Amino acid sequence: MNPRLDSAPLGVAVRISRIDWDAMSQDEGRRLREFGLMEGIEITPLHRGSLFSRDPLALAVGRMQVIIRARQAAMIEVAPTAP
Amino acid sequence: MTAAIPTIALAGNPNAGKSSLFNALTGARQKIANYPGVTVERKAGHASFADGRPLGLIDLPGSYSLTPASPDEAVTRDVLLGQQAGERRPDALVVVVDAANLDNHLCFALELIALGLPTVVALNMLDLATRDGLTLDPAILSRELGVPVVPTVAVRKRGLTDLLAAVDGAILSHQTQATAQSAPPPSDAALHQRAKAISRAATLCETPVRRWTGRVDNVVLHPVGGFILLVALMFVMFQAVFSWATPFADALEGGIGVIQTWVVDSFPDNFLRGLVVEGLLAGVGAVVVFLPQILILFLFILLLEASGYMTRAAFLMDGLMGKVGLSGRGFIPLLSSFACAVPGIMATRAIPDEKDRLTTILIAPLMTCSARMPVYTLIIGAFIPAQKVGGTPIGLQGLVLFGLFLSGIIGALLVALVLRRSVTKGNATGFMMEMPRYQWPRPADIAIALWQRAWIFLRRAGTIIAATTVILWLLLTFPQAPAGQSQVEYSIGGRIASGLEVVVAPIGFNHDIALALIPAMAAREVAVSAMATANAIDAGDNEEAMAEQLSDRIAGRWSIATALAFLAWFVFAPQCISTIAITKRETNGWKWPLFMVGYLFALAYAAAGITYWTAVAFGLG
Ligand SMILES: Nc1nc2c(ncn2[C@@H]2O[C@H](COP(=O)(O)OP(=O)(O)O)[C@@H](O)[C@H]2O)c(=O)[nH]1
Repeated sequence: MNPRLDSAPLGVAVRISRIDWDAMSQDEGRRLREFGLMEGIEITPLHRGSLFSRDPLALAVGRMQVIIRARQAAMIEVAPTAP
Repeated sequence: MTAAIPTIALAGNPNAGKSSLFNALTGARQKIANYPGVTVERKAGHASFADGRPLGLIDLPGSYSLTPASPDEAVTRDVLLGQQAGERRPDALVVVVDAANLDNHLCFALELIALGLPTVVALNMLDLATRDGLTLDPAILSRELGVPVVPTVAVRKRGLTDLLAAVDGAILSHQTQATAQSAPPPSDAALHQRAKAISRAATLCETPVRRWTGRVDNVVLHPVGGFILLVALMFVMFQAVFSWATPFADALEGGIGVIQTWVVDSFPDNFLRGLVVEGLLAGVGAVVVFLPQILILFLFILLLEASGYMTRAAFLMDGLMGKVGLSGRGFIPLLSSFACAVPGIMATRAIPDEKDRLTTILIAPLMTCSARMPVYTLIIGAFIPAQKVGGTPIGLQGLVLFGLFLSGIIGALLVALVLRRSVTKGNATGFMMEMPRYQWPRPADIAIALWQRAWIFLRRAGTIIAATTVILWLLLTFPQAPAGQSQVEYSIGGRIASGLEVVVAPIGFNHDIALALIPAMAAREVAVSAMATANAIDAGDNEEAMAEQLSDRIAGRWSIATALAFLAWFVFAPQCISTIAITKRETNGWKWPLFMVGYLFALAYAAAGITYWTAVAFGLG
């Protein structure tokens, strides 16, 4: 099984290989796509959580930064970017 | 075609700068109302073309796509499709996009262009794109999109004339030439690919993204350091509220004293003079002196919001708030509630989840709003010595104030935890939002916003507070007490307070407090003006007693335990008519506001009681 976004190391660009659309609600899925999170897209996890928890996760998607919860990140499989 | 005034709609992603553009185009000529049946704001205004012909503008709620995810987004779609009740389909469309975020914003733009309305794209925030090392070619963008593209900087009012000229042109050419009907909507992925390709083509040169902002975020969002910074910022904010405001507050107080003396010296002693000096000036004046503190608090909140830090704070708080069933989205409404719960509760509209939103509304009054400041400052000033804590530069008074704020926050988190497991039970909510870029706050915007807050506060002081104070003065002045008896105790108001005193005596409250609590139902700060009025009446013509300050007087009459219990009471008590009214409006009924008032009074009573009994046990009674 591929590594998931919720445990991906920070600061390293990865490519989204699969998103488990069925595991999330329709709204969640749509918002992810609107943020530009789709299969084949390159993203970089930047910041994770604070003193009290590993939630949430900030990602760079292109020039935009978005914040999602770890629960959603766990539904996103990632692979190393092609060299 | 009709000669009617054309209506132009502004649409775009959230944070594209739509509202700024709308404000820049319409100036003061705007009207804000609600769309029928939903709590979604309808912002409409007027502007004119260069040759003076008028046009109407509407600012649609920010959306990510035409498939709505919230009531706001549904309104956007319905208006654009001409399906919104009571709203004509707009004659033209201005799509606002963030120049530095084209990959993403062009998706919605493509969807909008496909609607077939006369459309112009405003390539906004070009200044920020340039700052981030991005050079774009509007001509290429225009060719790829098939509609005119006009570069704008909304906050500097740049490109507005060109934008309107382009809109005018688009409407004209639309009339003379039939537009090709739009193709069926492409899939999300196809849309994204197309958006990305267009954005690539229009980008002439691009230096690596965010050099310094990335480094700032590494500190600000650091799991430990960022959190410490957040707490430190809040702490500085509350210290500043106390120390910076003092000279201004002293000056205001002095000014009111001068007016009082002048009135006493220039008019004969009669009913009216008493009303003005003891009722109006003593009561309203006691509240107005807190204006500097309230403005400093607002200044901090506005700066944090405008700079983009607030979303970082929401990020840091999300983990903690998630544990009690809220989301980081609630942080912004809750922080605004520190200034006033009313705008805070209105800001909860941005929370998509209904249960999450309701919980946030119910705990918003626990955030220490500016109306509590007069009460807190008075009591702290009277009972807590103005000294430094053990040789540090930290003031003890500021520390106590910080503690009171903290109690409110901890109380709110605990209440949320309980509510989310009982009355507002539901699934854990999501937290998905865009992180805005850092920006220097613009002094003009901040000044205008501060002025608006000051005006709201002064208007309150002039209306609700003045009215309650005058009524209280009347209740305390009649009937006239026989010689040798206290006027305040003998009056109608005094007797009502004696009745209430029976209920609140167990938690350490005395007659002064019972008297202040009743009119404070209108607004918390009235507690202070009520005590000031009672004080002034009690002093009567006794010059010496008159000169005695309210804080000195209560310091002589209350025990520390009573003072602490009074503070604890105000951390929780829902004494604010405006908050109750806005809760009713935002929850569509009386059920939740009544629930809120009930649980908060119960908590206030318990907290004051526990504080009092503990303090007495430690010998502070
Ligand atoms: N530098 C710069 N900032 C802008 C521009 N337009 C808007 N902003 C800022 O971007 C933020 C979001 O703008 P706003 O109009 O509220 O966006 P909306 O959500 O689309 O209505 C605000 O802080 C604005 O001051 C612009 O052209 N240049």
